[in-house]
Amino acid sequence: MTVVVSASAHTLGVDEAEQTVLAGSGGAVLQAAGLCREYGTVIAVDGIDLSMNEGEFLTVFGPNGAGKSTLLGMLAGAMRPTAGSVSVRGKPLLSSDTDWRHRIGMLSHKGFLYGRLTVEENLRFYGKLFGLSDLDERIPARLEQVGLTQRIRFEARQLSHGMRQRLSLARALLHDPDVVLLDEPYTGLDPSAASVLRDVLDELKDGRRTVVMVTHNLREGLEMATRLAVQVAGRFAWEGDNQGLGRKDFERHYHDVVEGRA
Amino acid sequence: MSTAGMRRGGLVLTVLGLLGLITLYWMSFFWVDTEVNQGVVQRIFYVHVPAAWTSFLAIGFAALASGMYLWLRDDRLDRAALCAIEGGLVFATLVLITGPLWGKIAWGTYWTWEPRLTLTLLLWFIFVGYFMVRNATEDPEKGKRFAAVVAIVGALDIPFIHLSVVWFRSLHPDPVVARPDGPTLPVDMLLTLLFGVLVFSLLFFGLFLFRYAVEGLRAEADLRARSAA
Amino acid sequence: MSTYLTQVWAIVWKDLLLEIRSRERIAAMGAFAVLAGVLFNFSIDTTTTRPEDVAAGLIWMTLVFGGLLGVGRTFHLEAQDDAFQGVLMSPAPKDAVFLAKTTANFALLYAVSLLVLGVFSLFFGLNLGQNLGWLVFVLGLGSLGFVALGTLFAAVSTGTSMGETLLPVLVFPLLVPMVIYGVGTTTRLIDGRPFSEVEGNVRMLGAFALAALAAGAVLFRYVVEE
Repeated sequence: MTVVVSASAHTLGVDEAEQTVLAGSGGAVLQAAGLCREYGTVIAVDGIDLSMNEGEFLTVFGPNGAGKSTLLGMLAGAMRPTAGSVSVRGKPLLSSDTDWRHRIGMLSHKGFLYGRLTVEENLRFYGKLFGLSDLDERIPARLEQVGLTQRIRFEARQLSHGMRQRLSLARALLHDPDVVLLDEPYTGLDPSAASVLRDVLDELKDGRRTVVMVTHNLREGLEMATRLAVQVAGRFAWEGDNQGLGRKDFERHYHDVVEGRA
Repeated sequence: MSTAGMRRGGLVLTVLGLLGLITLYWMSFFWVDTEVNQGVVQRIFYVHVPAAWTSFLAIGFAALASGMYLWLRDDRLDRAALCAIEGGLVFATLVLITGPLWGKIAWGTYWTWEPRLTLTLLLWFIFVGYFMVRNATEDPEKGKRFAAVVAIVGALDIPFIHLSVVWFRSLHPDPVVARPDGPTLPVDMLLTLLFGVLVFSLLFFGLFLFRYAVEGLRAEADLRARSAA
Repeated sequence: MSTYLTQVWAIVWKDLLLEIRSRERIAAMGAFAVLAGVLFNFSIDTTTTRPEDVAAGLIWMTLVFGGLLGVGRTFHLEAQDDAFQGVLMSPAPKDAVFLAKTTANFALLYAVSLLVLGVFSLFFGLNLGQNLGWLVFVLGLGSLGFVALGTLFAAVSTGTSMGETLLPVLVFPLLVPMVIYGVGTTTRLIDGRPFSEVEGNVRMLGAFALAALAAGAVLFRYVVEE
């Protein structure tokens, strides 16, 4: 179960990148090779390789504009890479076969919710899109998990921001994905909502799931992560295992990396 | 094909086209017989119809390139579609200028809903939509995909538009008794027309190759500027 | 296949439920239709023109402009809270998403077009008589063609910086066949001519709608891709 995470140069050929995927596809759940994404002349992600196993929790830190959300979008199959590839359990994303979409759940700071639908209707809608048949049991269970059982008949727009984020979390986990992607999930949450989110995310560390979180907030995500990376200007400027570094120490290290001293 | 090769090809086709154009003018002014009913003004026909033909060639070509672009995502295909649409816009504009000139003298009115003219006007707007979509996107990749969709749907819609404007026209009495059209055309008129179609097609592909070479250089310059940054 | 239909139906149901709750688009389109009827009434000098001669054209113009009003907003509504992103990331095929959005828009526009027919026949004193059934059918075919093209290009224009202002520029040239055949058919049906006289036109309307649906189902994925 070796883990290879390395920032590769932009010049890495696609062929070479694909070989990396094949070589490492044994146990890896989520793999990315030579990922690049350009918006016109702007390069948001500039050659990122990633291989994640079951039970791993990677937090990617980075300043604004480092291309973190773009990276996550490509891992989610929501964005097409300019170069490189992503695969989930060996199946390449963006193929005509969409089975892999069942394996990915995404929580963003945008909720993906319909304000005029009730809590239950929102979940039922997404459940049907995912082809789930046991929604009558599944939805109450998820709502229980995020503590929204009492609000099942409320329209999403009537919920507070914290509760909406919990509903989004229930939506993201509704289909029991192997890979959970979190895009700045703590944005705008008050302390109590943040603590509920933290509890639920803690439950995700059941050894079955693979989690990638991106954030510019050093406070959150450091404790839960098993692996850490710092993304600067589209590349992983630093990455490694989480060796229980304290927040202060990591913060110092982070600033060294971002400012190019390490 | 290399950029230099394309420029050579463009030069050859354009020079051939220009020589052909001189010949076409000579043919339509001095060689071909004057049409009996309309008189001298009918000679604009040998520019008008080939230009219309070329603008339809352009949208067909662009739609084909766009479809392949969506499939293969090769930027060269997108550039080919863009250049073809540009050429199409030029020739469609020619049709829209020569049509009213002809119409004013032959029918006494600048604009008439003659099917070919109507169709070209709508095609002109489809071409314009292609550029508007392309220029109104922040992410160029998105602009390329959107523009490709416009070109494809536009080309697919052409047969429908054609049938409908012809049908619409059939409801109204024709303002002119005889129009040179179809296989009843005298041989010299038909020859001049076919020669015109050939000349305009040559010009279209010649200009297309020039434009395509320029777009290729532009893409290359962008790439270099980026890797230098 | 049943999953496909479940997914399509889930989106249709969601769209209609949202519309029933907010009544945002149906109210705007309905009010537009009635007010257009009122204004058109004043635009006709009855000493020179018989209203029933121009009613068909006005009905279709109202349909086109009213449709633009509603269909143009269809993805704008989805963009709130990025909900559409969630739909696109689900396993639902993109053609299913397109067909569902088109179906929901069709239900909306068809309801409005029937309202238009009713209002205009009232305002202009039309006697629809024995052709009412065919008129209802023809408006349905026209609405279908319109929403198929409209939904595809609403997705395009929503993705541009120009937004909804771009939509008419893109779809009006493409909608010409629908308007020509639609008006041609409706004028004669209102005039009480037999259906056999307009059968060819109705076929063309149907072919246009089917072609637009097929093109949209194939091309939609390239429009919504990021």
